[in-house]
Amino acid sequence: MKWSLGTVFIVIMLLVIVFTGFAQENVTITVQDYFDPAKSMGKFIQERIVEFENNHPNVKINHTFIPFNQLLPTILQQSITKTVPEIIMVNNPNVSQLIKGGVLKDLTDKVKEWGWENWEDFIKGYRDNGSYDGKIYAFQITGNNLALFYRESLLNKAGIANPPETWQELKEQCKKIKELLDISPFAYDAEASDEGSFQFYPFLWSNGGSLLELDQPEAIEALQFLTDMFKEGYIPRDVLNITSQGDLTPWFINGDVAFMINGCWEFGWHLTEDVMQQLGDVKVTSIPVQEKGIRPIVAFGGECYGISSNIDPAKYDAAWEFLEILLSSDINLKINIDSASLPTRVSATEKILTEVPILEPFLEQSKYALPMALMGGMENYGEISSILWVAIQKAFTGVATPEEVFKEAAQTIKGIFSPEDYEMYKQVARELLQEASKK
Amino acid sequence: MKAFSYKIYFFLIPVLVYQLIFGIYPLIYNLILSFKEVTLITYLGGGISQWIGLSNYLQILKDPVFQKAIFNTLIFTGLSLSFQFIIGFWLALLFNHTFPLKGLFQSLIMIPWVLPIMVSGSFFRWFFNDQGMANNFLLSWGFINKPIPWITSKIFPILSITAANIWLGIPFTFILLYTGLRAIPLELFESAEIDGANWWQKILYITVPLLKPVIITILTLGTILTVKAFDLIWIMTKGGPGDVSHLFTTLSYSLAFNKFHFGKASSLLVIMVLLVVGLTFLFNSTKVEEESSIE
Repeated sequence: MKWSLGTVFIVIMLLVIVFTGFAQENVTITVQDYFDPAKSMGKFIQERIVEFENNHPNVKINHTFIPFNQLLPTILQQSITKTVPEIIMVNNPNVSQLIKGGVLKDLTDKVKEWGWENWEDFIKGYRDNGSYDGKIYAFQITGNNLALFYRESLLNKAGIANPPETWQELKEQCKKIKELLDISPFAYDAEASDEGSFQFYPFLWSNGGSLLELDQPEAIEALQFLTDMFKEGYIPRDVLNITSQGDLTPWFINGDVAFMINGCWEFGWHLTEDVMQQLGDVKVTSIPVQEKGIRPIVAFGGECYGISSNIDPAKYDAAWEFLEILLSSDINLKINIDSASLPTRVSATEKILTEVPILEPFLEQSKYALPMALMGGMENYGEISSILWVAIQKAFTGVATPEEVFKEAAQTIKGIFSPEDYEMYKQVARELLQEASKK
Repeated sequence: MKAFSYKIYFFLIPVLVYQLIFGIYPLIYNLILSFKEVTLITYLGGGISQWIGLSNYLQILKDPVFQKAIFNTLIFTGLSLSFQFIIGFWLALLFNHTFPLKGLFQSLIMIPWVLPIMVSGSFFRWFFNDQGMANNFLLSWGFINKPIPWITSKIFPILSITAANIWLGIPFTFILLYTGLRAIPLELFESAEIDGANWWQKILYITVPLLKPVIITILTLGTILTVKAFDLIWIMTKGGPGDVSHLFTTLSYSLAFNKFHFGKASSLLVIMVLLVVGLTFLFNSTKVEEESSIE
């Protein structure tokens, strides 16, 4: 039988189609994060998904939105039912728990293929938080930290020219404002959640205290200062029952408080450009410290992306390829401009100040900001954080004195670890703290 | 007499399957967890949960926060049921009469039941805040000269939560008692009147005895619903400030999802289930005794 050239061509084409069809099996990937699809970041992610799907016709990507405070509970449920999506967002203090729990996949080989320089472009603290035992599991995509926001006009009304730099100045200014304006001037989040702990760290760490040694004078002093502020009526009592740090900002906007401790994300949330223009007197400075000259040390917040360890091997390449896009320096910049957060890649960090100059003090602090999990016993951080916020609330409401609650908390925290682990984590925290305090 | 047919069991299959999957399985799973040391890491599959016998139970029983949660649960359940019953009963008696706009008022009473707990819980959080409506009202009328820390002190939160829960539960008690009241034949009251019974005697010797099955049902369901209340407390105080307003449920949630002690959290829930089952049994046995005495 003789085959014509045309027939041979058709057969070859059919074979190509069949084999490429087999090679490019259709896969569906789910990206789970807190970017609301109705808002600009969600839409931006959706645009990247459409682009990716156009370039990879065999890949379909679903985007699932989970509110911030449900990220961990959702992953816990999904882990039990083995339904963790391929790409997941994790709040940074929970990364070590999910690594130890085997939820996150070791991505070191992929990073090597991608280019080690890309990994090293991530700021060191974020790299430490996303890796364990020399292996890479998660990439921090947004960063943030806390500072003191103040309403200049309210300070001026009380005859105050400059914002406070020390605890004593803060107390004196609050006293003046309270007397003259009849408001509880200092909004500090003491809610029963990780956010309540997050707000305490600048006072604890800047004073040389450690989360693993709460019975030490440095830690007790920090709590005593805030408890006094609360009892004097300088901090509104309702801070015990708010649901997030964002709840402080409406008080700040309304002029019910003159100061608030809050994060840079507020400029992408409540304090948008038009609100800032309307108020016209919002300023940001470092959180006061006990004595002038001490460096204010804050915790870094922010979220990470990782890949589920249970991912179907057939989906892994495509999931990584999409994650690579989300991790690129340009997108890192875009995500953080949009949410007024801090880029986590050095190459993007340099560019954000031209777009959002008000982030400058936050960016400066991020150079020596500390990772919460590493400062608080890694995978035990969640439990330790909850012990801390309960203790703060007990001191504020007078259930016991700051010294008593912190001595009790320190004892409980010690009991979580084996003696060897406790000493090791305590040492890690001390070293990180010393490193951060060096000027 | 018609022969007993085993076909009847066939019709029970759907409910049995449902109960097995959504009732029995989680209960057994929870019971197993309560005998193990389950941490976040082992829960996620990063290790093996050790079998530790009754250790979780012993630890939880010794925990002062648990003891406080028992006290709070008793206060919360006792006060909620008592006030809901008294107010519900009074409303049922009132609505048993005819008066203008009765239908409208009846609908208004049902509002707490219609609202999602998320809405009513958030409302009460705002209401009891330091700068909330309760304090604003009391301050503006001169009843107090500084705000009362309804949900931000070490004493008041459990009482404020209870007050909110009483409001939420009134429609339930009212509607059951009102329905029961309407089923009592009017002739009984009329003959009692002829015999010279006063209002109080009619309540005590006719209304209450005839409503006894309804009252027991209210107590049984009310106890179950109140002991297992979670969302209202979580929205209002999260069991705080500190740990002053924890009930069984919020403490269990906090142990599981804040401290990641899943084993201990499960043991607490087992204790709670046993308590509720015990109370339900007690109320139901009273009901059975009552029914058999009628027969």
